[in-house]
Amino acid sequence: MDGNILVVDDEKIVLKSCEKVLAPEGYKVSTVASGREALDLLDKNRYDLIITDIKMPEMDGIEFIRQARKKNTDINIIVITGYPSQESIREALSLRIVDYLPKPFSPTILLDVVTRAMEMKKIGVAPQPDVEDYTEEIASKLDAIIKKSRNKLGSLIPVLQEAQELVGYLPPVVLRHISRGLRIPLSEVHGVVSFYSYFTMKPRGKHNIRICLGTACYVKGAEEIVKKLTENLHIDVGSVTEDKKFSLESVRCLGACGLAPVVVIGKDTHGSVNPVDTMDLLTNYQ
Amino acid sequence: MENYRASVMLCGGTGCMAGDSLKIKDAFTDELNKRGLSHEINVVITGCNGFCAQGPVMTVYPDDIFYEKVKVADVPLIIEEHFIKGRPVEKLMYKELAKKSAIPLMKDIPFFSLQVLRALRNKGLIDPEKIEEYIARDGYMAAAKALNEMTPEQVIDEMKRSGLRGRGGAGFPTGLKWELSAKVKGGEKFIICNGDEGDPGAFMDRSIMEGDPHVVLEGMLIGARAIGASKGYIYVRAEYPLAVQRLQIAIDQAKEFGLLGDNILGSGFNFDIEIYQGAGAFVCGEATALMRSIEGKRGMPRPKFWRSAVKGLWDKPTVLNNVETFANIPQIILNGASWYTSLGTEKSTGTKVFALSGAINNIGLIEVPMGIPLSKIIYDIGGGVPKGRKFKAVQLGGPSGGCIPESLIDTPVTFEDIVKTGAIIGSGGMVVMNDLNCMVSVSKFFLEFTTEESCGKCPPCRIGNTVLQDLLEKITKGEGEEGDIELIEDISHEIIKTSLCGLGQTSPNPVLTSIRYFRSEFEEHAGDKWCRTGVCKDLCTFYIEEEKCKACGACKRVCPQKAIIGEKKVPHRIDQSLCVQCRSCYTVCKFDSVKIGPRAMRDQLLEQWVSDSGKTVAMAGKEE
Repeated sequence: MDGNILVVDDEKIVLKSCEKVLAPEGYKVSTVASGREALDLLDKNRYDLIITDIKMPEMDGIEFIRQARKKNTDINIIVITGYPSQESIREALSLRIVDYLPKPFSPTILLDVVTRAMEMKKIGVAPQPDVEDYTEEIASKLDAIIKKSRNKLGSLIPVLQEAQELVGYLPPVVLRHISRGLRIPLSEVHGVVSFYSYFTMKPRGKHNIRICLGTACYVKGAEEIVKKLTENLHIDVGSVTEDKKFSLESVRCLGACGLAPVVVIGKDTHGSVNPVDTMDLLTNYQ
Repeated sequence: MENYRASVMLCGGTGCMAGDSLKIKDAFTDELNKRGLSHEINVVITGCNGFCAQGPVMTVYPDDIFYEKVKVADVPLIIEEHFIKGRPVEKLMYKELAKKSAIPLMKDIPFFSLQVLRALRNKGLIDPEKIEEYIARDGYMAAAKALNEMTPEQVIDEMKRSGLRGRGGAGFPTGLKWELSAKVKGGEKFIICNGDEGDPGAFMDRSIMEGDPHVVLEGMLIGARAIGASKGYIYVRAEYPLAVQRLQIAIDQAKEFGLLGDNILGSGFNFDIEIYQGAGAFVCGEATALMRSIEGKRGMPRPKFWRSAVKGLWDKPTVLNNVETFANIPQIILNGASWYTSLGTEKSTGTKVFALSGAINNIGLIEVPMGIPLSKIIYDIGGGVPKGRKFKAVQLGGPSGGCIPESLIDTPVTFEDIVKTGAIIGSGGMVVMNDLNCMVSVSKFFLEFTTEESCGKCPPCRIGNTVLQDLLEKITKGEGEEGDIELIEDISHEIIKTSLCGLGQTSPNPVLTSIRYFRSEFEEHAGDKWCRTGVCKDLCTFYIEEEKCKACGACKRVCPQKAIIGEKKVPHRIDQSLCVQCRSCYTVCKFDSVKIGPRAMRDQLLEQWVSDSGKTVAMAGKEE
């Protein structure tokens, strides 16, 4: 097993025993005695998992998690607690911890919980919103959009459309925000997003390329264009290049059949595209 | 208002806009200002003119001169020659295909002269962003008549007598639909305009919404009055941003003019319209799914225990009509039902708008009387198949329709006659295919579409179409077996029988009609492993018939693989080890010497090649 784990606890014995149990399993374990030191380390290194005590002097665990989330929203966190009161657990849960360890715990339990948390990371179960795209400014704009249509019937789809216009795509954090704001279950929001092809949960590139796959474009060689683009940009339809410059989408008929085959880059429509010259289209988009 | 001596009507449809018609307008404005002619010549951006293939297009009135493929650089020339010297610019005029002679007047161009414009009567004549221009063309007169001179019963009666049938595909009589809903007493009612034009290859509704948005509003207003609705929605695809923009401008203007809102035209009738943008789901063209979508839910159809006219949006009586249907209504009310039935056949009255595209010379939007034979549309209006290729089939009705072969090309275009062929009129997309199109691949294309767009509610549609698609994939990959075609037919009939909504019930139509008319092509694919059109790369071998080859070198120049060997005056040959079956040589050869044989031929030719040249061979770009 590999992975970087940060353990935060004011009790030395806990730190030591965690290290003793986890290090032989192949994890790189860093230990610190306070939230402050831990936050410093978070700036410097990259961790896959944080294990933190809740009751600590100076900065308590909840406050630490809150601050750590600002730095890295998608990191998995496990809390250790000697007094698992409902309130403290609920508070920790609201900060999206993945599990908790009641004190005292045995090495087997520790290993079990850690292994599961690391597995989650691998298969990507943990929410992974992209913080760069979701600033406080955007959150407040989103609030305004939600407020405008909060008590209107059927407002979910227009709100999602505006939100996507605002953020560029619909990461889980935005869906949660909308779900809370409109008082619609998250499952329903997600159901709508996954149903309509207009919505995307993946970020788009700086230039979004849409290839029309309507019948008229199809009979005039749209498939060749798709092939050219996927081969040259090294991405599949529905994904974005590594440098986030281009993303590729197919659309079902843009209704501009007179121009077939049609490729839309950003907001510009390019008609009568010759499949052979497809790549020349991109030179003006850098 | 200024009195201009001439007006330049520049097309501002999506197609021409992509050809920079807005920049052309700016160039006109600048140039006219420079020459001090801006008070004499008016430049207007209109809705879609319809002749999209020749875009950007413009018409000069009152002369009725039609210019095509206009570029920014042509603007000074047009002004100098046409407006100052009075000599229309010949090089920008439409050229008749056969004679290559220029046709100056729009009314003489066959593409326009054979059409009858009713739903599209304002196309290219008005600025869609100005309500005054719509009103000047008798706009809102029908609404005034329906609101102040007619009772709702009279309106419905007129509609019933006109025989107008829904233009969205199903062809349900509009008057009957309205009557059902009008009979439900009391409570809130809705009227919805279905602008979720999803059929690939169809763009009639887009053109109407972009080019004449007020006619849609007026049609809805009349419908609302007839059934007693107070609120209307226009459901537009998100892929049509220009339509959304122009409809919004139209709604705002109509409100300003008191044509929407409270107490319209002093009649005491209140009605409001809101635009609702779709989010990209083909199934939302189905009425009940569309209503779920407006409610903010996944757009899945529901069983029709009751009609939406009785219980629709939010369980209230709702009438849903297509954009083109609404565009027909004001003229029917204004001129009467008998005027409308003067065109068309007994059961299919009036006119229908079609979007012509694919392998045809005159791509664009046309409106023709119902009952016109398909051949007239394709050859007379559409100008036939370009580049001397052969007509093979015409696809009607998109993923719910089918391909009509050459033998049925004289079928009159009516709801009943087209259904007999296995296709449907659908919303009006007409995609022409030539001999380069493989019918198996086209069937696969439509099944890929329906598989992707199936909402997933009913297993016959969700799983059945996937199985059909897999079978076709298998056949086009060269793994077809005996019985595959029969299996496709069996599954198709089950899907049709057991699906809930129109999408599922019609999804096997494209493959069924293709098998019906092009069975031999399917058998060649499955049995002989041969795609005679060369589309299915795994099922063909390109070779040159040496007796026919004139050694002109045309194929050699286009071959991206440099696989063609031959000198001047020596018949060429294709090196099978390098050929990637791109079809370039086949399409370029003027002497019909490049031939397409079955897959098995490739190995024979390769062996022969090796023994002839003693060369060892590695296959190019093919992973076997």
